[in-house]
Amino acid sequence: MPTTTIRAATDVGGTFTDLVLFSTDGETGEQTIVTAKSDTTPPNFEQGVLDVLAKGGVGVADIAFLAHGTTVVINALTERKGVKTALITTEGFRDSLEIARGNRPDYFNLHYEKPAPFVPRYLRREVPGRLTHDGRERQALDLSGLPAILDDFRADGVQAVAICLLHAYADPRHEQEVFARVCELWPEVSVVASHQITREWREYERTSTAVLSAYVQPVAERYLTRLAEGVRGDGFGGQLYVMQSNCGVDSIDHTREIPITMVESGPASGFWGAAELGRLIGEPNVLALDIGGTTAKCSLIEGGQVRIISDYWIERSRRSAGYPIMVPVVDLVEIGNGGGSIAWVDDFAKLHVGPQSAGAQPGPAAYGRGGTEATTTDANLALGRINRDYFVGGEVEADMAAVDAAHGRVAGRLGVDPVEAARGIVRIANNNMVNALKLVSLNRGYDPRDFTLVAFGGGGGMHAVALASELGMRRVVIPRAADVFSAWGMLMSDLRRDTFVTRLLGLDAEHAPQIDELLAEMTGAALAEYEREGIGADQVRFLRYGNLRYENQEHGVEVPLPEGPVDAQAVAASFHELYEREYTYRLDAPVEFVGAHLVAIAEVGKLEPAVLPRTGRDLEDARKGRRTVDYATEGGHEADVYDGDLLEPHMSFSGPAVVETKGTTVVVHPDNSVTVDDYGNLVIDLGEAGA
Amino acid sequence: MTETQADPITLEIIQSSLQAISDEMFAALRKTAMSAIIYEVLDAGTAITDGGGNLASSGAGIPAFVGVLDKAVQRILEVNDDIRPGDVFATNDPFFGGVTHLNDVVLAMPVFAGDRLIAWTANIAHWNDVGGMVPGSISNEATEIFQEGLRLPAVKLIEEGEPIDSVMRIMQTNSRLPDFLQGDMWAGIAAVRVGERRILDLVAKYGVDTFAAALEHFMDYGEQVVLRALQELPKGRFELEEEQDSGAVYRVAVEISDDEFVVDLCDNPDQDTGPNNASRDGTMVAAQMVFMNLTDAHASANAGHFRRLKLVTRPGSVFDPEPPAAFATYYEVEIRLYDLIWRCLAPHVGGRLPAGHFASICGTFIGGPHPDTGRHFTIVEPQVGGWGASAGRDGNVAMFSGFHGDTYNCPAEVAEARYGLYVDRLALNDAPGGEGEHRGGNGIVLDYRVRADGCFFTCAYTRNRHRPWATEGGAEGAPNRAEVLRADGSVEEYAVVTALPVNRDDVIRIHTGGGGGYGDPRRRDPARVREDVRNGFVDAERAREIYGLE
Repeated sequence: MPTTTIRAATDVGGTFTDLVLFSTDGETGEQTIVTAKSDTTPPNFEQGVLDVLAKGGVGVADIAFLAHGTTVVINALTERKGVKTALITTEGFRDSLEIARGNRPDYFNLHYEKPAPFVPRYLRREVPGRLTHDGRERQALDLSGLPAILDDFRADGVQAVAICLLHAYADPRHEQEVFARVCELWPEVSVVASHQITREWREYERTSTAVLSAYVQPVAERYLTRLAEGVRGDGFGGQLYVMQSNCGVDSIDHTREIPITMVESGPASGFWGAAELGRLIGEPNVLALDIGGTTAKCSLIEGGQVRIISDYWIERSRRSAGYPIMVPVVDLVEIGNGGGSIAWVDDFAKLHVGPQSAGAQPGPAAYGRGGTEATTTDANLALGRINRDYFVGGEVEADMAAVDAAHGRVAGRLGVDPVEAARGIVRIANNNMVNALKLVSLNRGYDPRDFTLVAFGGGGGMHAVALASELGMRRVVIPRAADVFSAWGMLMSDLRRDTFVTRLLGLDAEHAPQIDELLAEMTGAALAEYEREGIGADQVRFLRYGNLRYENQEHGVEVPLPEGPVDAQAVAASFHELYEREYTYRLDAPVEFVGAHLVAIAEVGKLEPAVLPRTGRDLEDARKGRRTVDYATEGGHEADVYDGDLLEPHMSFSGPAVVETKGTTVVVHPDNSVTVDDYGNLVIDLGEAGA
Repeated sequence: MTETQADPITLEIIQSSLQAISDEMFAALRKTAMSAIIYEVLDAGTAITDGGGNLASSGAGIPAFVGVLDKAVQRILEVNDDIRPGDVFATNDPFFGGVTHLNDVVLAMPVFAGDRLIAWTANIAHWNDVGGMVPGSISNEATEIFQEGLRLPAVKLIEEGEPIDSVMRIMQTNSRLPDFLQGDMWAGIAAVRVGERRILDLVAKYGVDTFAAALEHFMDYGEQVVLRALQELPKGRFELEEEQDSGAVYRVAVEISDDEFVVDLCDNPDQDTGPNNASRDGTMVAAQMVFMNLTDAHASANAGHFRRLKLVTRPGSVFDPEPPAAFATYYEVEIRLYDLIWRCLAPHVGGRLPAGHFASICGTFIGGPHPDTGRHFTIVEPQVGGWGASAGRDGNVAMFSGFHGDTYNCPAEVAEARYGLYVDRLALNDAPGGEGEHRGGNGIVLDYRVRADGCFFTCAYTRNRHRPWATEGGAEGAPNRAEVLRADGSVEEYAVVTALPVNRDDVIRIHTGGGGGYGDPRRRDPARVREDVRNGFVDAERAREIYGLE
């Protein structure tokens, strides 16, 4: 028996495949972290995973728990690299996919381009048969035309078939019949029906979901199969889990059935990490912020719970309607504002930051790879917030001439000096992020002052204090190894499945038994599914929510349903309360139950973080020196510079200071006080100036 | 103004915060509204103005509501001399700053810093029923505004935070759907209150002078953008007259110079004796929309944008009517005018404007007893249709008109549950039309099957006789029309009809028009024509005849 347990997370991104590996000593409980990075190796992605494991110096056979995150689904969608897909739908509705919702967000622009459907009209075919909205059969399903339809699809080289029929959320029997018949007539084709992914109403959204799922299914399936074979071939005998968009992991076999659920898995693991970290350190209410190279993402965690929604769209912006995918996704706001975001001045001398990014190539001007435009990273360098002598952990010599030239151009157009320009870039970038943080908090009725800001990703520590101060927040936590925090989150994840089902019922004593029945159905289905995978009922716990609204409204409020039979009055009371918090008023009107959201969680041996050992090192030994740091609105200050890797629990110091590690820089403002907690996280308390 | 405190970055931060506040108000309104026309169709808008009612920023919704709220606030300021913190005012009357028609209710809240009135937060939303001679309040038969519902002449609804019960009771009593009215009203109140709170936070942070300077600066910026765009437009006087489906002839002249854009509508018919009138404020909104399309199409408009836009109208005309004119179908007049100005300028502005679109709200009203619950239901919805082609590409299929924007159609699944109708079909309309080197986009065919006796159908579609216009030798688009397929097999056709009785198993079939084509169809790439045939957008015969496909 090995005395250490090894848990590893691998994350396949567009450029790099990352590894984070925790080994826990069985006797001392001591944990060590190893990180490694190697090239992503398309199309044989599993090779990159094996490479990075080898680079991390660990035998695949020694790993007990392997979690895997990948951008394969979102990339296949946004790069249009899925397969030729066809659609079978209800008679009269083949154009639903192309009609979509008819909206035009960029409404003064008469040259707006409606997003093109993923399936052209000639590959969208219809079958007669109708259900009513409550699932009764109005017209029998007629599949006599199906063989000819499939013949046409074959002749056209179709590789995947999506099925979406009207009212299948209420009763999937027609879809199931079509599905079975397609499988029987054409066993080789990849096929997915909407009810397998979602049981919610709105036919365009559900059709789009089925179509996008079918479109990526063969690609993702191939990927997952090869990954599993790759690691098993190298002797891996442990459990292999895949990160999902709902902040949980799932088995590789289950993921293979509906891979579209991986679509937002990247951000989800970081937010789950923030929730778990909050639990660990007694901060259940967290605003989580992930600042990467091209975007910043944020999410709100209340009472240790992430918020999972199914109203998710890709490629949606102020300029485009985008495409809906009704899968459980962590509720997040993402903006085009990261370290590589480009600062630019418009024709009217207004400064903007992002959403264009310098990307990996050429990258910020400081990389000296030909980038001429100032980015947020360049501004942080120019202001001494990032250490110019320890850029990218000392791996890159910062090209300060290029940085100064880039700022000079911005400054010239703004009519200010270069330092003011750099401060302006940081302030604008901060303001963009503050607005994003407001969207997930204030806009939903939460006061940020009741939350702790947990910031991670390469740029999280650089901006967190300024943002928290702007929002009146009192505490910021920068996790240890903030640059690989997403991987940590992956290793902290449980097996988690979220199901949403629409069923319109009055919220009253008369209908409460029907709600109980629905919940029992959903619970039973989840347990049965786990059971088939060898996970017993005793390992599974549930969270239950009702989606409620005042009668005739559309958008519901999610209300937790306590265990036991539904008490309509008690549930209505908590609805009124939550509703009033979010919208400032309540009505004396009947309440409607629109549907249920069930979360089924099974623990599968996630990491238990250990307390970081202390050597008794003196704080002074961790201090690398002092330098002048420009805090933008607060001006320049002499700041102590600490080596983050040498900090250990119970150390504390005050701002102005900077904490540097290879992958992150934490900017501590004047009046802040910092303590290192038991796990090596930096807990920053903002002084009165911040509150 | 204390310019010293207001560095450009701070101003920028305040401006983007104002946009975020407008968006937040819009999200709050949408989420809590009771009526589908607000939360799905997003027939609603939000705005922030300065203390004097000049538009500072606007929330998503529809472009036709962007320039409405400033006018309403200005009128509220004129009419009321007792304006206090915590007040909320309401207006819906085009003769009192309501701009559109009585169904659209504006709620506005003053924002005070101490005793200084520094801003207003406001929203407008379509309420389902405000009384009047027909359910839904919109009648094609109305001849006076008095027949169109309860008039709220810029009155106070909430005083220093306390609802004025008597006013609220009058409003509820005058609606056929008082519960909806109550829900929609509180949604609007919640939205303006959220906006007020956020603005006060901004002012607390940056100071009232800096806040005011930011608004001023933002409007100046809008004006600069417009001036730049005007310089690039062709100069001169452009005129167009166009016969309408009603037989009336509308005329417009647009004069563009380096520093002004003048829309002259003096030479137009007397005001309509029916409800086909647009208030002068509404006329201005139509002109503002074209102006934004041409000058700053990606922006969120503010008062500065419109400083260089001038409007000339004749009192007593259809575009500047006098009391007691009726306005129920103001939107068809306004979109006709919008389309007229667009069409007038399209040939002269070098590809900046595509060919005409279906250009009707296609306002559709169906109501009656819900067959499952017995309660009364009402559908109030605009329709999607086809958009015109341009020099670069085919027109979009199935989108809301230029009058609407981030507007959503109602899913068939939701409609069937909510309204007790069956939606038998929702398809792209393959009627001929819109052919060209670039094709106009298709409209839709939508079949509502009525499930209960005693229902009604009302519509007022334009671009029926006179079809969507083409450019550069393309073909006109298909028309907007409605059919009623009776259970007995007979078929009736309509473009305008009020309260037509429809019964169980009658099918109301809505056909919306397609966009106009661009360029000679014979110049269309044969590969694209073959693709059109394959997709069923063009049949083989027309491919041969019109496109010359071998």
